[in-house]
Amino acid sequence: MIVATAVLVGLTLLAVAVARRQAPGRARDGALLGLSMLRGTLPLLVAAFFVAGMLAAALPPTLVHHFLGGSSNLLDVVVGSIAGALIPGGPYVSFPIIAAIHAAGASLPATVSMVTGWAVWNLGILSFELALVGPRFTVVRVSATLLLPPLAGVVTRLLFG
Amino acid sequence: MQRNMTIGLGVVAIALGALAYLQGGWGHVLAGLAGTGRLLLETSVLIVAAFVLAGLIQVMISRELVSRWLGAESGWRGLLIGGLAGALIPGGPYAYYPIAVAFLRSGATIGTIVTFVVAKNLWTVSRLPLEVGLLGVHVAWVRYVVTLAFPPLAGLLAQVLFRGATGWVRDGLPASGPGARQGRGEST
Repeated sequence: MIVATAVLVGLTLLAVAVARRQAPGRARDGALLGLSMLRGTLPLLVAAFFVAGMLAAALPPTLVHHFLGGSSNLLDVVVGSIAGALIPGGPYVSFPIIAAIHAAGASLPATVSMVTGWAVWNLGILSFELALVGPRFTVVRVSATLLLPPLAGVVTRLLFG
Repeated sequence: MQRNMTIGLGVVAIALGALAYLQGGWGHVLAGLAGTGRLLLETSVLIVAAFVLAGLIQVMISRELVSRWLGAESGWRGLLIGGLAGALIPGGPYAYYPIAVAFLRSGATIGTIVTFVVAKNLWTVSRLPLEVGLLGVHVAWVRYVVTLAFPPLAGLLAQVLFRGATGWVRDGLPASGPGARQGRGEST
């Protein structure tokens, strides 16, 4: 966590430097925009952290190990993909929850499938797509991405096993 | 919507608390609360940095810039540019779907648009800091490496499976004029 924080703070300082070169005042605008986004999502963030904390205490470890632990080859990535699709909300909601499930014993391939399932199969975004682009595009997009979340888990197992 | 979501998550947290109690009494519930506190403490600096960084990325890369790229390209280069545009474009689904519609209308192929949407889902640059922060460097790194090829792959698959269907999809777009929808995207 310390490494991640250091990397992030470094990247943020780098972005500040780049923004300052682009235009005067742009770095300030960006930082203020980020802080106002944070203020808007803070209640949601705290609620998500409560869910993540409680999830870690409530999830029976044997259940997580059985379905997401990776003892069998495909079960964990399929269950992970579906679980990911069902996790609601933006990244600040889903990532703490996925991290809690990972810490409770979900394998790396299952966790990667969960993130990918959340990103690609996301049921919350689907309604936007149907309304804004129409069901025909959804048919095409879903057909082209149907296998990606479990595939991500399988590739993770092969490469990082 | 955000408020309903917060309330919904609160209800889920309480239900999970009850489940924790059933499994191990108050000790389990307290462990859950302690976990929440630890998570908040450990990630507070990181979250502030992640949001500031996301804001900076948003002001540095404009939607107009991305739009200019996406409009000009098709074919193999379209897949590549579509992917890059998806990775860089800021905003939620109410912002990038109207752009996808605008490009479908102005002649972009279905493969380019699918690549654009999937890249938005998987490569989003402004989400990377949060993913690294909350899931850890290792998981985030593995996740990006593993899904690196997915957006152009999905676009290519759409191009192969639905060759010639671009017109069919274009005819299936919601009937209202593109101006109104784009206006909705810009205002957010």
